[in-house]
Amino acid sequence: MELGPIFRALMHNPTRFWLITVEVALTLAIVVNCVAIILEQRELLTRPSGLDEPNLVVLTTRPFTDEFAEDGFIDTVREEDLRRLRALPGVRTAAAIDYLPLAGGGGLTGLAAPDDEGDGHPAPYFVVGLGAINTLGVELVAGRDHIEADLRPGDSEPENLIVTQALADRLYPDGDALGKSVVDPDTREVFGQIIGIIREMHNAWPRSSIAGLAMLRPGPVYDERELRYMVRTEPGALDAVFNQLEPTVLAVNADRIVTVRSLADYKRKYFDDEAVLVKVLTVLAILLIGVTSLGIIGLTSFSVTQRTREIGTRRALGATRSAVLRYFVIEIWVITGIGLALGAILTYALNYALAHLAGAPSIDWPLIAAGIVLLWGIGLLSALAPAFRATLVPPVVTTRSV
Amino acid sequence: MFAYMIRIAVLSLRRNPVLSTLLIAAIALGVAVSTAFVTVYYVYSGNPIPTKSDRLFYVQMDSWNPDRPYARSRPEMPPEQITYRDMQGIMTSDIATYQSGMFVASLTIHPPEEEQRPYRERVRMCFADFFPMFEVPFTYGGGWGRDSDRGPEPVVVIDAATNDRLFGGGNSVGKTVRIEDRQFTVAGVLAPWRPSPRFYDTHTGASQVPEGFYMPFEFVREFEVETAGNLLIWSDYDETGGFEEFLASEAIWIQMWVQLDTAEQRQTYSDFLDAYVMEQKNLGRFGRPLNNRLLDVMEWFKDQEVVPEEATGLLVLSLLFLLVCAVNLIGILLGKFLTRAPEVGVRRALGASRASVFLQHIVECELVGVVGGLFGLGLSALFLRLINRLLDNSGQFGLDLPMISAGIGLALVAGLVAGLYPAWRICRLAPAIHLKLQ
Repeated sequence: MELGPIFRALMHNPTRFWLITVEVALTLAIVVNCVAIILEQRELLTRPSGLDEPNLVVLTTRPFTDEFAEDGFIDTVREEDLRRLRALPGVRTAAAIDYLPLAGGGGLTGLAAPDDEGDGHPAPYFVVGLGAINTLGVELVAGRDHIEADLRPGDSEPENLIVTQALADRLYPDGDALGKSVVDPDTREVFGQIIGIIREMHNAWPRSSIAGLAMLRPGPVYDERELRYMVRTEPGALDAVFNQLEPTVLAVNADRIVTVRSLADYKRKYFDDEAVLVKVLTVLAILLIGVTSLGIIGLTSFSVTQRTREIGTRRALGATRSAVLRYFVIEIWVITGIGLALGAILTYALNYALAHLAGAPSIDWPLIAAGIVLLWGIGLLSALAPAFRATLVPPVVTTRSV
Repeated sequence: MFAYMIRIAVLSLRRNPVLSTLLIAAIALGVAVSTAFVTVYYVYSGNPIPTKSDRLFYVQMDSWNPDRPYARSRPEMPPEQITYRDMQGIMTSDIATYQSGMFVASLTIHPPEEEQRPYRERVRMCFADFFPMFEVPFTYGGGWGRDSDRGPEPVVVIDAATNDRLFGGGNSVGKTVRIEDRQFTVAGVLAPWRPSPRFYDTHTGASQVPEGFYMPFEFVREFEVETAGNLLIWSDYDETGGFEEFLASEAIWIQMWVQLDTAEQRQTYSDFLDAYVMEQKNLGRFGRPLNNRLLDVMEWFKDQEVVPEEATGLLVLSLLFLLVCAVNLIGILLGKFLTRAPEVGVRRALGASRASVFLQHIVECELVGVVGGLFGLGLSALFLRLINRLLDNSGQFGLDLPMISAGIGLALVAGLVAGLYPAWRICRLAPAIHLKLQ
């Protein structure tokens, strides 16, 4: 190995050494921190919600005539809407719902087990009509779905609730939630009874730490201002069905404003900031790697030009072309290596600062290791072209121009 | 002398156009990225109403559950909104120069043209003072008078986009539009207005665009409308009692702003709030300790952490990006300057001082900086437009004069960072060696 001479030569003219070192160190720190944030955001964007997301469409209707306030009118319209929606070819099923999962707005209450004296647990909920489980595409793992009788419980009867496994486990950590009742943590009054448990379903706030806590409350979804339906299409039929939904409900009653949007669209809107952040950081990281790579190319080219006579002398003294190539490759390998070692420390420092300033996720060492391997490779690749040029220096150069 | 230096610098840059392009591109890229995120941060952290942000106060009162604080993580903080009954209670005062409770509703608009279908639109329900208090700009007409708040009279203020949509633009003051089941007369049409952050309601998103409609608050009763923003409630009320029961409940859903111009006025208002709460305590409400807050606009932003963490993170990362670009330039400039060593040797031998050689090269670097900065600003504007499009935020981010200056400033700093070491190296070369070589 020629490490000794290489290192001494470097120290003889340390500017280039320091420039590449600093640049590589900064680049590692920035790129690894970018990637850490990208990974965290992507995890948020892509984690499964338990819902049949690609096949769900939301139909929101807002009546603007007084007849909807009349007794029973809205029920008739809703039943007819649902009957016709379910009959559409390509539609698997449909159900009434008040707010939307994954869209960032909905109901939230506190719940506790009757013998739990604490402050209770957050229970984001949706008021749903019959058939919601099937429509949302969530999986019932215990108990039963709502039935007609659940929609209008008698005065003394508790509300029959379906909760996610995650919420059930919070309320009853021993795993025996099914059939148990839950209370309002403030008043200690019975709120309802758990009759069913679904494996997984995200609530209206999929970004939050309580995304997995959700509850389905049975109800007529009664509001003369807004009637909303979740429609689940056959796989792949969403686009074909989409445009038929508005005319279908307007045919039942035209005195209302109808909006049709896919659930995926609501989700996209909700995660707008995250999606943009991922794009921006990706561009930033790629640009930075490009800039650094260009920098290494430039500095190595310059160094080759400067040392043309040196290289010629070595060649004249018997060094082979591959020895010259090896010299430059090892040299860049050493420089980037030292830069990356410094960069690893800088990465942690920047991460610490970003975590404080911007709530960035903390970085695991495998990510840094991956960053080091990547930049080492890029450093070598960048230096290859100028190094090849060095091998082309003829020994005869030594005899010229002195 | 300076003009001469610039001329030499231009000549030097033109001698090697490829290298100069590279230099300028590096600065441009760094400036583009960093200026874009400085702008994003600046917009988020900016003062949307600088003329009076220290005279506008957000009113908070702790009407929350006696058993537990409003926010467990910040027990000292009163709720972020107030109840309807408390808004009514404190609106009776005439201490403040201007005052308005407000919330956003979603109402059905029936366009005058028959062929247009009705649509839903966000409507800000507020009091007459909203417009003078927030210095809302009008193209036609103006806000409604305080008389119209009582009653209330069916008057409405619309924004420019709504004016185009409903009436095809022009002076629409006096025209009518049906909202829900009432005809409203247009009192004023707004000029383009985009306070950013949208300070008066940080709850439903500080990045949001102002509403398209404004109507007297008290239509809340007639339309029995619930907020389209956040509503929180800690105690049940009798839902069979209808809307009046809801209005009398402990639900918090209203934002309350007052303008207090002097310290005395502020003190008087603060005393009034205390007295109001003590009076309510006697009535059995406000079970928590007395905890009223009056925060001005910028204090309220800080309290609400209006600047997204992402904006801070991107600011830091983009400035580091610029640093890497500058470090890159050091190497290129050093190479460029050192190949010119013989020329410098001649100049030095002819009597040029070290200082003037140093200055000459710094001028050259700064020239690269300024040209790169200008290109960078252009790129930055494109970049911001792209971000605006991706975020669908109706052009929230854009370069204004302070940001253009900031971009040029960043370019100059980057040029200096990149140029200092190479210029120092070149000015310290001994002239004799290079003369001998020739």
